[in-house]
Formats: sequence, structure tokens, C-alpha cells
Amino acid sequence: MGSLDTPISAENGSAHATGHGKSPLTDGGTRAAPADSVPEFEPSKRRRSSMLPLEVGTRVMCRWRDGKYHPVKVIERRRVHGCGPNDYEYYVHYTEFNRRLDEWVKLDQLDLDSVEAVVDEKVEEKGASGLKMTRHQKRKIDETHVEGHEELDAASLREHEEFTKVKNIATIELGRYEIETWYFSPFPSEYNDCLKLFFCEFCLNFMKRKEQLQRHMKKCDLKHPPGDEIYRSGTLSMFEVDGKKNKVYGQNLCYLAKLFLDHKTLYYDVDLFLFYVLCECDERGCHMVGYFSKEKHSEESYNLACILTLPPYQRKGYGKFLIAFSYELSKKEGKVGTPERPLSDLGLLSYRGYWTRVLLDILKKHKGNISIKELSDMTAIKAEDILTTLQSLELIQYRKGQHVICADPKVLDRHLKAAGRGGLDVDVCKLIWTPYKEQS
Amino acid sequence: MSRLSFRPRPLDIHKKLPILKSFKDFEDDETPTSTRNSQLLRIVPEVEHEAHVPHAPSKKLASEIPTPQFVYVDTYERDYSCTFVQPTSYLRARGARAEIGEFVEYDLDNEDEDWLSEFNEERDILTPEMFESLLFKLEVLDHKARERAGLLTATLGSPIPVLLRFETAMETLQSLNVKYTILESVYDYWKEKRIQWLKPILRRLQPAPAVNDTNPYNVFRPREKAHRLHTRRMQRRENNVQSFEKLRQVRRNLDQAKSLLEALIKREEKKRDVIESEVTLQRMQMKYKHETEFLEDNLAMSGFTPFSSKLVSSEEEYFDSDDVMTSLLPRSRSTVQNLHPYDTNLPMVPTVSAKQELKRIQVPHGWPHKLDPLEPVLLFTKPLLPGKLAVAGILPPDSIAKNGVSAQPPYTFRGRIGRGGRIIFDRSNLLMQTPIDCGNSYYMPPKPRPSTCN
Repeated sequence: MGSLDTPISAENGSAHATGHGKSPLTDGGTRAAPADSVPEFEPSKRRRSSMLPLEVGTRVMCRWRDGKYHPVKVIERRRVHGCGPNDYEYYVHYTEFNRRLDEWVKLDQLDLDSVEAVVDEKVEEKGASGLKMTRHQKRKIDETHVEGHEELDAASLREHEEFTKVKNIATIELGRYEIETWYFSPFPSEYNDCLKLFFCEFCLNFMKRKEQLQRHMKKCDLKHPPGDEIYRSGTLSMFEVDGKKNKVYGQNLCYLAKLFLDHKTLYYDVDLFLFYVLCECDERGCHMVGYFSKEKHSEESYNLACILTLPPYQRKGYGKFLIAFSYELSKKEGKVGTPERPLSDLGLLSYRGYWTRVLLDILKKHKGNISIKELSDMTAIKAEDILTTLQSLELIQYRKGQHVICADPKVLDRHLKAAGRGGLDVDVCKLIWTPYKEQS
Repeated sequence: MSRLSFRPRPLDIHKKLPILKSFKDFEDDETPTSTRNSQLLRIVPEVEHEAHVPHAPSKKLASEIPTPQFVYVDTYERDYSCTFVQPTSYLRARGARAEIGEFVEYDLDNEDEDWLSEFNEERDILTPEMFESLLFKLEVLDHKARERAGLLTATLGSPIPVLLRFETAMETLQSLNVKYTILESVYDYWKEKRIQWLKPILRRLQPAPAVNDTNPYNVFRPREKAHRLHTRRMQRRENNVQSFEKLRQVRRNLDQAKSLLEALIKREEKKRDVIESEVTLQRMQMKYKHETEFLEDNLAMSGFTPFSSKLVSSEEEYFDSDDVMTSLLPRSRSTVQNLHPYDTNLPMVPTVSAKQELKRIQVPHGWPHKLDPLEPVLLFTKPLLPGKLAVAGILPPDSIAKNGVSAQPPYTFRGRIGRGGRIIFDRSNLLMQTPIDCGNSYYMPPKPRPSTCN
């Protein structure tokens, strides 16, 4: 593990000076480990030199951060320096993992002996035509890619992957943390030439250089998100930011969030959304932990559009808190709600856990019969979500011409244990909030 | 087999579902059908298996999903100052930065910094902060200029011209105490940058992409709210002849329904008018009937002591009730008061009979004259014809009394035909001219029922 950290951070270190996309790099000197230094094995030498540079679509083994070799597929390549066949680096997708782990690797991380002789036929075919875009568009969709994309049809998935296939920003600095990004985010074209962005922790303005951020910090007058605090419990605070009143903040937040959300769209403007920003507060200010956004008026009864816990705060129960919070808001509105689809792999996991916990807690205590509608009214969870949750846990059985709910305490406890306890609870009496009303 | 071989009925979310607290419940009332059997057999071992091997599938999966990493920024403590004090009350939003005014929203980018260092040439001619402020003010001024010129509607993609002229900018920026030459250089740099970018350099002032812009790299389009269709059917609305016809049919149906409803309203209004007229008619008839009835009474029942016709004709006597007799009688309060005290009763009698005599002359014999042939016949109020009564052998009780001991009977009787067609003689007080039973009479004798004959 540790051995691999070095090359990754080396890449990050030179990131801000590196050209974006296919443009050749001008600062070749900073690149470590030129391809020539790769230890070579005589028998494979000739074969290898003939296959370099690797074609897009090639399947090969690649050394990952755990020090082990994993199968990858070459998504894109770019010239580093010089013009030899070895002077390329490759953007690879680990076929075992989610797209968020796609990264640029150097030739020495690839095990060239493992290159599969048969490159994707379609790629070969189209390669001759020389049209890069077409070639990529025709790229067969990797089966392992499909996780978390079940709800998209093939065409829109292809389009989505084509235009977001290579991360544009590699890392960001946000407050105390320097975070590797997960996905492409459509920053304005002025930012096409940089790989690292510096975010102001409070107003979320982003800059290309550290000095710019430091200058900004001297004048930035915000210490918390520019909205109303609607919840405070200990050091935890929730702010409601109106996308219409704080357009730039909302947009900044979306740009930032997109770096960590695959299927978020920034297609529409933020003024129809409210942003609920969760913060941990200390003497330096209120530090964003995560957020969820919500349409002011949802016609599909969505109570949540996007949800994100920033990577440094993940697996601490904040996601579950955000989900619980979104349902508390729905309860105050007197509506049932459901998250907008598609859910990411991590999102689905959190939601399943939340639904399971809430519903099973009720079933454990409840006496007598109960309808799905009643469960829905009690929890503000949409009836469909209740059904899928109970059905996936096989708690709804069909027998003698009617459905019954199985609530064997042992079975429920087992499921509850599997779902994990929600780390942070929402204390409803600390929520001071009125549902959004259009001021017109 | 993981699926049932039959398809369960769709689940009704409103239906109360029984909650089984134990799997034993499944087994107890189990019927020996093969599908259910197999299903249960499948469940039970699974439960046992899972109970023995405690696992946490989702949790395990969660820890298995690898994510990219993060590191700590060593300059953080320096960059961010410890100046935040959380107030005891919840924080409230201030206005947006653009509204507050003085905040310099623009942050220098790489290009600006490079230009500035070249411009400064190691000397401190222009500080980055001042440069930032100047660029910000130029942007805002230009935005205002375009606003005045009405050129703000441009969407992203089409070049946005620089409208701010240097002279105009100078006038406003003079107060900043910056040398003319520096301002001029900054203005030139800014203008060049703007022409190069084709759009404002301050992000807040950049226009949104057009609604129909399909370039996925352009983001934050305005969303037209009114256009959203509410139902799925509307969302996949097809624009063809068939749906046109369908909609026309809908329209026809609605039009028909509307005219039908209008006709219905008219009909009901007419009905109401008819009822109202009937009511008025009834009232008028009753009023009329009271008058004629008393005339008739006086004529027909000569043996009975009649009422003063004066009472009946007075406007106040109008009474809205179907029982004419009882309603009428208590109305004579003024008369009653006049008659009071009792000892005045004797002189009254001849006067009354004299009047009665007069009327008999005026009114012709026979059945009461019906002026209106449509007048409903209220049988129970029909006056009795003494002639016919005599033929039938019915005599008024007072005539019987006359033959007896008392020459001056304490009561007088008024005859009428009752509701059931019986002939009724109401006993009434001669002096008071009210029925004995009447509640508001001053005189309350012991209550004998009105005697009935036949």
C-alpha cells in the first residue's frame, strides 16, 4: 500500500502545472519514472515495442494503490514528452471498481505481458476510420460498469460516459483537506487548463493557485454557508441556502458536488433548489461536511435531489443523518417523499439502511395489523420505497390469497444489525424550520 | 426456486396487513399446497442458516467499496483564522454579496497575476488587492452600461461586447486615488481579456446558456416552470390526428355536459318560481277564504253565535295556518279586552245578533260562493249547512240545551266538518268568543273535550 502512495502523490504534486486533456506537456522535467526505466524482460521486448503505444480500449493489468495488479481498460492516452511510442500516459478504468477510481497511470504501472491480444474488435474496426469520437462512442459498455447505472438506458449511459469519461480536475483543496476527486465536473472553460482547484471553504469560490486562495481568505467575510441556520445540535449545524438568493454559492456547491457524484446533472440552474448544508462548527467557522439539495416544488414528490458527504467525512454517519433530516423536513411539510433517481451505489446503501432501520423499528413495536399506507404516513417514506425495502428483506409474504408482514423479532434484529445503527440522530425539537413558500 | 410459481395479487397499500410475530405462525395454519410448502421450506432453512452465521451484507459491502483518498493540508491552520464565535441563537442569512455592495467578488486568476507581476516589475506600483478591486468595478460598470443599453438578454455562446468606455470608467474610478496611467493600463488589459473571453469575467454576470443549448459542458440553464406537464399522459402527449380527434371528442362531451347543466339550472329555477307562486296563491286564497268563511258561517249557522265580522276583515287577522278555526279564534284579543270584565257580556249579545241579521240579508243562500274555481276545497273547514243538518236529523247541541233547563247556556257551539269528515261542534264561550280549549284565553274552564256528533 505505502509503496504506491508515492507515485500518486507525485502526480498530484505536478498536477497544477500539467496540461489538460490531450495537449502535450511542456514540463516534462517534473515527470518521474520515464518509460525507458521500466525493467524489461528480453522475451517480451519485441512484442511490447510493437504494441506501444497502447490503443484505447486495450485490456491490461495495472498496479493499483494496494500494490496488487488489477485488470484495467485503457480509456484515453496522452503524450507526456518526446514523441516516442513510450512517451504516453494512460487513463485507465479498473474494471472491478467504480468509475470513481479511474486515473492516469504511467507505463511502468502497467504489466505489458498481460496485454490481451484481442483488443475490442469494434475499436479496431473504427480505429481505421480515424474518428476518435465515433470510436469511443462505439466502445462497448463494460459489463462491470453497470453498477449504479441500472436506471439509465444504454444510449444515455453511453452519452454520459463519453462526455465524462476522463476526470478534468484530479484533486481539490477544501479547508483542511486535499481530496482526490471521483468524477468529471463541467467547470467553466477557463478552468480547462488545471488539474487542481483551491476552494474557499465557506463561500466555495474556486481558484487555480494557492496564493489566490490565500488572498481570497483575507477578504472572505463568510464563516458559514450563506443561509439560515435551521438546526443546531452540539457542534453540528444545518444551514438552508436558497439557490435563488445565493446563486453563485449554489453553483459553486454544484460544481464541487459533481466531482463526487457520477449522475448528478448541472443542466439546470440552481434557483429552483434549496441546499441543506451540514456543518461541523469550531472556532474557525462552520466546515461543510455534506449537503443535500431539494427542489422547491417537486412534482414527483422528491424530497431530495442530490446528497453528498464529502470524502473526509464519509462513514461517520453523516449520510444517514442527511437522509433522516430530509424525511424530517417532509414530515414537517406533511408530505411523503422519495429521493430523486438514480441513486449511486453508496447512496442506495445509505437509503436501504435508513429505510430498513426506520421500518423495522416500527414493526418491532407495532401491535395488530398495519397497512403500507400507514407506515408511509408515519415515516414520510413513499409507499413504493417501503414495499421494495420490505420485499427485498423478504418480510412481505403472500399466502392464502393475502399479503402478510413477517415480524419475527429474531429476523428483524438480524436485518437491523445488518443495516447498522444510524450514527447521528436528528433531534426534531432542535429543528426550527418552516416549509419554503414562494415570495411573490 | 427463488420465485413463486404463481403470481401474487398486487399489494394494496391501503389494506391492513397482518403482522406475524413468528415464523411458527406460518407453519401452524399451513395448508398442504405444494407451492406454499416449498416456499416455507425455503424460508425456514434460510432463517436458520442466517441465524447461525451472523453476517452483515450491506455493511460488509460498504467497507468493500473503495474510494479515492484525501490528505490533510498543512497550511490550513495558517490560512483559516480562529475568529469565528458561534452566537447562541441560530445564524440568519444576510443579503447576498452582490446586494451588500462593498465586497470585491472578483478573485485574480493566473492570467491576471502574470500580467500584474510583469506590470509591477518588482516594484509595488499596483497591489493585487487594488487590481482585483479595479477589475471588479470595471465589470460591474460594464454590466450597468449593458443594462442601460438593454443588451442583457444575450445568452452564453454569442459574444458579449464591451460597452464601457474608458472615459466613463475614469469618472467613477477617480475616487480610488489611482494614477491615470495605471487605470489606463488596467482598462486596456481588462478590455483585451474581455474580448478574448467573449463574456464577462465575473461569473455572476455571465449569462446562462440558452434553454435549448444541448452542449453538456454548458451548465445551469434557466428552467421554464410553466411548461411542465402534470401527468404522465400529458408528458407523452402525441401530436397527431388521433389525439386531436380524441381531444375534440372530449371537448364535445364537455360542451354537451355544460348545456345540459345549464338547462338543468333553468328547470330548477322554473320549479322554484312555480312553488313560490303556489305559495302566494295559497296565502291569498286562505286570506280570502277567511273572509268568505265567516260570512258563510254567519249565514249558515244562524243558530250559533257568530263572530264579529269586523274582527275577520281586519288586516291583522291574516294568519298563515291550515287550521283556520283555531288560528282565527285567539286573534280577537282586542275584542277580548273590550269585553272584559265579564259583566259587560249581556248587552253585547243583541248587538251581535243585529249585525248578523244584517248580513243574512246581504248574502244569498246556498253553498258559499266560490270566487275562484281553482280554490282547493278544504273539507274540514267547510261550513255546515243547517238545512242539510236538519234533514239528516242533526241538531246543534245548544238547540238541545234550549229544550232543557237552562235558557241561557254557558256555552255556544260552532259547527264544522272535521278533518275526517265528521261533523264537529266546537264549544265556545259566548262572552269571550273564544273556544274553551284555547290556551291564551283568560278564562280557563275545566276542560271538556269538544263534543262530537256522528
